[in-house]
Amino acid sequence: MAKPKVASDWLCSCAGCHMSLLDIDERIVKLVELVDLRSTPITDLKHPDESGVDVGILEGGINNTYNEEVAKMMRKRAKILIALGDCAVFGGVPAMRNLFTIDETLQRAYVDTESTDSNGLIPNSPELATMTRVRALQEVVPVDIFIPGCPPDADIIFYALSELAQGRIPELKNENLMWN
Amino acid sequence: MVTVTIDDKKVEVPAGTTVLNAARKGGIEIPTLCDHPQLTPYGGCRLCLVEVEGARTLQPSCTMPVSDNMVVHTDTPKTREARKFVLSMIFSERNHFCPYCQVSGGDCELQNAAYAEDMTHWPLQPNWQPYPVDASHPFIIIENNRCILCRRCVRACGELVGNFTLGIEERGSNSKLIADLGTPLGESSCIGCGTCVQVCPTGAMIDRWSAYQGRDTEVETTKTTCVGCSVGCGLDVLTRDNRLVRIEGDWDVEANKGLLCEIGRFDPMEEDRERILTPMVRKDGTLKAATWDDAYKAIASKLGEKKSIAGFISTRLPIESMYFFKQLFKDGLKAKTTTIVDGNSKSAMNLAAEASLAATYDDVKNADCVVVVDEDITKQHQVISFFVKRNLPNGSKLITVTNGEDGLDTFAHVTIKNDDLCEGIKSIENQAKAVEILKASDSSVIIFGGHAAECSDCGKVLIDLAKKYNAKLFNTYDGANGKAAAIFGLVEKVDLKDADAAYIAVGDEKVSQTFIKSFENTPFMVVQSSFNSSLTAKADVVLPSFTWLEQDGHYMNLDGKLTSAKAALNAPEGVAGNTAILKDVADKLGVKVKEDWQAAIQ
Repeated sequence: MAKPKVASDWLCSCAGCHMSLLDIDERIVKLVELVDLRSTPITDLKHPDESGVDVGILEGGINNTYNEEVAKMMRKRAKILIALGDCAVFGGVPAMRNLFTIDETLQRAYVDTESTDSNGLIPNSPELATMTRVRALQEVVPVDIFIPGCPPDADIIFYALSELAQGRIPELKNENLMWN
Repeated sequence: MVTVTIDDKKVEVPAGTTVLNAARKGGIEIPTLCDHPQLTPYGGCRLCLVEVEGARTLQPSCTMPVSDNMVVHTDTPKTREARKFVLSMIFSERNHFCPYCQVSGGDCELQNAAYAEDMTHWPLQPNWQPYPVDASHPFIIIENNRCILCRRCVRACGELVGNFTLGIEERGSNSKLIADLGTPLGESSCIGCGTCVQVCPTGAMIDRWSAYQGRDTEVETTKTTCVGCSVGCGLDVLTRDNRLVRIEGDWDVEANKGLLCEIGRFDPMEEDRERILTPMVRKDGTLKAATWDDAYKAIASKLGEKKSIAGFISTRLPIESMYFFKQLFKDGLKAKTTTIVDGNSKSAMNLAAEASLAATYDDVKNADCVVVVDEDITKQHQVISFFVKRNLPNGSKLITVTNGEDGLDTFAHVTIKNDDLCEGIKSIENQAKAVEILKASDSSVIIFGGHAAECSDCGKVLIDLAKKYNAKLFNTYDGANGKAAAIFGLVEKVDLKDADAAYIAVGDEKVSQTFIKSFENTPFMVVQSSFNSSLTAKADVVLPSFTWLEQDGHYMNLDGKLTSAKAALNAPEGVAGNTAILKDVADKLGVKVKEDWQAAIQ
């Protein structure tokens, strides 16, 4: 039987959850014996296989229309979708900007900063994705497994992936949920 | 008695017991958030919903009284579903950001409740309406985005402290915690006791001093006694790496049951005086570092000769220290001895003769009428004022007799003001309303301090008053061990004019400039102190001693009960305990001292 295919990507995030994933250290060797790691932001392939993957992992929340597209593509191509980290599960730190209007945040970020000179400009190229309210992944696509944490502990990520690699849906409870 | 079956377990409880408490008696813990053992049940959070056979819907166990033969199920698919739903609704109501909250990771009851239900995410997202943060208070920040509207703080501020500063304004999703009528907390009637912070289940009430300094699993807790005043509140002192993190009230101590005032909870956090780390002896006009031996030699050489000595001891020191001090100075060296407390040597009236009239804390807590004489208990002995204020909404009456502004003026039913306190006290019986109140009350308590405690005339008036109106007397001795000092007789009037030498066991007390100035002409001074001050700068010998957090010892509170203080921190190298120092000085001066303080304090 072919090894299950796993793909990942990051959206509006700091990449910390992928760093935590890498913190499984040498266990990654064992992992790739059991799974076929396809596209990730840190390997060569950049998009999940059109033919589909078994497990899709998304880190980060939805901050603009581009994130939406990536999320929708991953949901379409993955049998099981994992929301990895607080940003994907809840909205996370970027969601703090939901307490302000988008105009206010752009003004503060591009015009009113301490290091902007008198000609602060808000980028307005038509090629840029449109900003939206910061949303958790589940507000855009149905999610199957949630792994909260900022970032989730490497041991928990390894537990979840090894459960999936052995054909089981990981159950996060007790020490695997209250890991801190 | 009523028998109720909870999770197939039969429990017998008195009628009127709530289902929640009946379950606890049977060893079953139902999850709660707004419930607190010391507060009246509120039933607002709905986390404690249980299945009651025959009932139409799930019932809140914290407010529902048991009925005979009731059958309850606390852990069924229906209750678990309900709890998940309740928690989802609570999370969606405000903006809960766990990643940077100071209680996240074990100290948040909301987060723990969600983990207990195996929740890995929120089914409902918040609507992102921003709520304000009130950072106007020096000790407390109110973060409304984390508030779950459980009202624990509101109930505590009212029912336990009697200050009624906190309240909820508006309705529905606009409900918001406010102080007074919407004043910023720092400008409100808040007295900074911090009970709200201790009681808050989430990170909504932030203690500025201890936030992020250590979670419950990272700190050590020492149970000890506060030495801020003679109420002797029980404390949980939280420390980490030999550093003070936070002071909390011990919920289990009978005296204060978890309550603390600003002086006990927050003042110790602001300690910034310079610590003395070595003994010092004055040589050629300047204080120089010395060994303990040299310091004791210097003391022995001056105090050993038959000199007229004045002895001062801080009431923040334990009974053990006071007993050695008494035996050494009062008995051994025939010194005139007194306590420091703000530089006034009070000769406290000894009410031992009227022991039958002495009020206990319970008497104060249950009094239906309180007369407060010359003691602003909203400034000192504050927790006693909590006992008084919190009963006022239940119909208890308050009479104050003072010679100036008093924090209880706005609460009192009768305020008697007279510059001459003797006159004021005598005039109580001339006030018709006061007499009417006293006649109608069954369990009155007269709380007195200051002048009334020193003046034997006033004392007589108060004793007569107590006998006539069936009241009890409550003397608020100043200073943590003020009562013990009075028992040991360390309350004489000391005139420094004739003193050849003075020994001042200051400990960590802050002394006033007036006190320090009084030693202008004292030829030889020994100061036993934790911190440098203008007092130690004047001394001829300085002995470095433990602070209150570093020493073991016993205190006598106003209830006449002995409380024990346990060291929560290790003192720096080279510093000695106050009790040990006094014993050593006694040894060096050839004065024999006994260790049986327990017998001596009776």
